[in-house]
Amino acid sequence: MSQVQPAASSAPVISATRLTKIYGQGEVQVTALDGVSLEIPRGQMVALMGPSGSGKSTLMQVLGLLDRPTAGTYLLNGQDLSRVSSRTMAELRGRRIAFVFQSIHLLPRLSALHNVELPMVYARVPAAERRQRATDALNRVGVGALVHRMPNQLSGGQAQRVAIARAVAPGPDLLLADEPTGALDRASGREVLGVFQDLNQSMGLTIVMVTHDPLVGRHAERIIEMEDGRFIRDYAVSGSERLWAHQEVSA
Amino acid sequence: MNAFAIALDSIWRHRLRSVLTALGVVIGVFAVVTLTSLGASVRSYVQGQFAHVGATIVTVSPANPGSGAKKHPRFAGAPGGAPSTLTLADAQAIAAAPHAPIQRVSAVADIPLTVGTTPGASSGVALSGVQAPFFKIEQIPFLHGRFDGSGVVLGYGAAHTLFPHVANAMGRSVYVGTHAFTVVGLLKKGSGIAALQSNREVFLPIGTGLKLAGLSTVAEIVVQANSTQNVGAAATAINRVMTARHPSKNFSITKESQLLSTVTSTVSTITTFLAGLAAISLLVGGIGIMNIMLVTVTERFREIGIRKAMGARDGDILVQFVAESVLLALLGGAVGVGLSAIASSIVAHLAGFPGGLTVSAVVLALVFSILVGGVFGVLPAMRAARLMPVDALRTE
Repeated sequence: MSQVQPAASSAPVISATRLTKIYGQGEVQVTALDGVSLEIPRGQMVALMGPSGSGKSTLMQVLGLLDRPTAGTYLLNGQDLSRVSSRTMAELRGRRIAFVFQSIHLLPRLSALHNVELPMVYARVPAAERRQRATDALNRVGVGALVHRMPNQLSGGQAQRVAIARAVAPGPDLLLADEPTGALDRASGREVLGVFQDLNQSMGLTIVMVTHDPLVGRHAERIIEMEDGRFIRDYAVSGSERLWAHQEVSA
Repeated sequence: MNAFAIALDSIWRHRLRSVLTALGVVIGVFAVVTLTSLGASVRSYVQGQFAHVGATIVTVSPANPGSGAKKHPRFAGAPGGAPSTLTLADAQAIAAAPHAPIQRVSAVADIPLTVGTTPGASSGVALSGVQAPFFKIEQIPFLHGRFDGSGVVLGYGAAHTLFPHVANAMGRSVYVGTHAFTVVGLLKKGSGIAALQSNREVFLPIGTGLKLAGLSTVAEIVVQANSTQNVGAAATAINRVMTARHPSKNFSITKESQLLSTVTSTVSTITTFLAGLAAISLLVGGIGIMNIMLVTVTERFREIGIRKAMGARDGDILVQFVAESVLLALLGGAVGVGLSAIASSIVAHLAGFPGGLTVSAVVLALVFSILVGGVFGVLPAMRAARLMPVDALRTE
């Protein structure tokens, strides 16, 4: 952690320049990211859209420090993370950068509460504080009553909410969501988007979510469209276009 | 939630697999601990036996002139050995040696005559001619009577062979060849190696025995030094006396302590050798653990990916998987020690010596199994730790 200074509040959460990711070598080389530059200010909710193979998931993995870019620089809160050690990458994951996955990825042998505590276990947060923050996060996403359930006793929507609680409990700077509604039915998907919008509006959490569904994308305030590893459109969702999950439910 | 809780959970989830994997270590630890513990039991039993009989005994036995061969009279026996030239006079000379630290002396002769309860009958019981100090030297206590030079003394087993239905054989008659002797003493049942022989024997005064058998030489002379520190000095004094009387050096002098150290070191060597062989099976057990841990890591790519995405460092993953293999080996080791405790107490009971595990063997085996789990767990754990989270999460 020593290489990473406390966040400078004025800097954008993400500032990436000419990020490139090339898979394979020689003949079978695939350019998944072709020099994209990106700036996301604090508190923004962004949808990353495009057909499969457009590079949106790769960008997500690079931004989430799950993978390293082949070239380019990546600043999180003004700190250059392009050359940090894998130990530092690991220490930022789950603490400063949190994930929500399409396939949810709760550990099946742990209760909801213990799943939510997991990132804080690795962050060496003391047990009492860990328990408190996990309980708070589960309450905030509306599954406070399910703390002792095992993942196989949760519906898809409930499990994804637990996964969101796991992501936000450590108080991250950035939430990355990869097709968060992809495995859910329409109603559960809407609930999850509602939770995202709530966290974004009430806590000012910066959220980047990958989706191929335009309806899901319209829940964000900004949409970036990708194709062949490049950005082809980057625009704000106008007030009238924007969808609010809670209003849809009541409508 | 700590590494060992995760490890226990994983081991419990795959119970059958864990049991089979740990079996290699169970067998290895069982073999090492049982063999070393039994070896230690045998060693301390032998030492105890000698301490009981007394490490103060020096034996003079016949030898080929100048051969200098150190014979162990108790085990190497006189038959087939050098013809004896030792006489009662030699025993008297040793007893009379000036300033020698000698407490007791007795000549011993094997009397080749039959013993029975009717004239000329043979009961198969051996007959020895000894002198009164013999029983003190060999520390065989009397049940009744004493060796007063008038009649015979029966060993505990010999009394039962000769008089199977008689509770107290004192005063009865025993025939050596055709000569009748009165039983004037009965010996207590001795325990241990040295007493096995005397249990089955009948003792008569050596002078009478030699005369009846027409012998002039004795089989050996047993001498007791006045303390364990003086055994060497006693042996030197005996050697001086005997060399003066037998310039051709047709005798050999053996200290019991030499025999003790020979037996002890032989037992130690055998124990170490067997334990070394057993340690190989522990090694094989370790390879079994490595094999299963590699499978486990492959099966749990997704879990590893999730954990890494949630901020687990490479070290956290490494510790988790090493903990699992160490725990597996340690459980195997503990079961092995348990089985070995049972086995060695059974063997000790059957063989008739004090059983029980040696603490050092148990500690060594447990330390060794932790080491085996650690060493053979590191490679699979490193494979897990080095996975990139994306690669791990991609496996669905």
